[in-house]
Amino acid sequence: MPYRPKNPQGPLSPRLSIYRWHVGMVASIGHRISGLVLVLFVPLYLWLLRGMTGSEDNFGIVSAWLHSGLGKVSIWLVGVSLIYHFCNGVRFLAIDAGWGDSRDSMRLSARVVIFVTVFAALLLAVML
Amino acid sequence: MRMTKEPGSAHSGLSDWYWQRLSAVVLALLLPLPFFLLVAVYTGSVDQQGLLDILDHVVSRLLHTILIMALIVHAYAGLKVIIEDYVHIVAWRIPLIGVMLVMMSMFGIWWLAMIWAWI
Repeated sequence: MPYRPKNPQGPLSPRLSIYRWHVGMVASIGHRISGLVLVLFVPLYLWLLRGMTGSEDNFGIVSAWLHSGLGKVSIWLVGVSLIYHFCNGVRFLAIDAGWGDSRDSMRLSARVVIFVTVFAALLLAVML
Repeated sequence: MRMTKEPGSAHSGLSDWYWQRLSAVVLALLLPLPFFLLVAVYTGSVDQQGLLDILDHVVSRLLHTILIMALIVHAYAGLKVIIEDYVHIVAWRIPLIGVMLVMMSMFGIWWLAMIWAWI
């Protein structure tokens, strides 16, 4: 089929406002959101890495920031995103390899991934 | 298996898909390590000297380098798909992907320079 330029006013590819929501969609869109969070964390990670490996004063500044409210929220957010993206990524790899790719097992594994993430999020919130 | 007749302008449907999975496996193995280290520093179980001893070991530097390369491949593949899905005007899409690529290269070079500069 030849490529035809789309109408810019037309619906976007994942037509979120039209599809009925189900757990597989939540898992997919969660993978994108957590992936974006992880990418956005990279500049912060570089700043942390530079501070921590710099002078003792630099280390102190970074350490104090990590223990501030914003620092704790950042660690929590990136931790939860990492756990989710990791678990759901393993799920995607398994589905690609043909393990558990029936509709029922995909929905079940999506539920398991979301449950694990919620549990880890609560655990991390208590620990930090 | 049904074959795709028109693979599109990329001329192959496999390359992006394959690189995304390959980098995913590398990241699944390596990415938890710096997060654990960050938490260890946060809780105080590793102090600055301990952190430096871990980070400037040659094995850490090599693993860190592999991590950065896999991260750039994976982040590029993921963000490209997101941009392609939500940005439909080609005049916006191509510059956005270009800007993304330039920024990722800058961060990658800065990061590599930092890792290999530690004495």
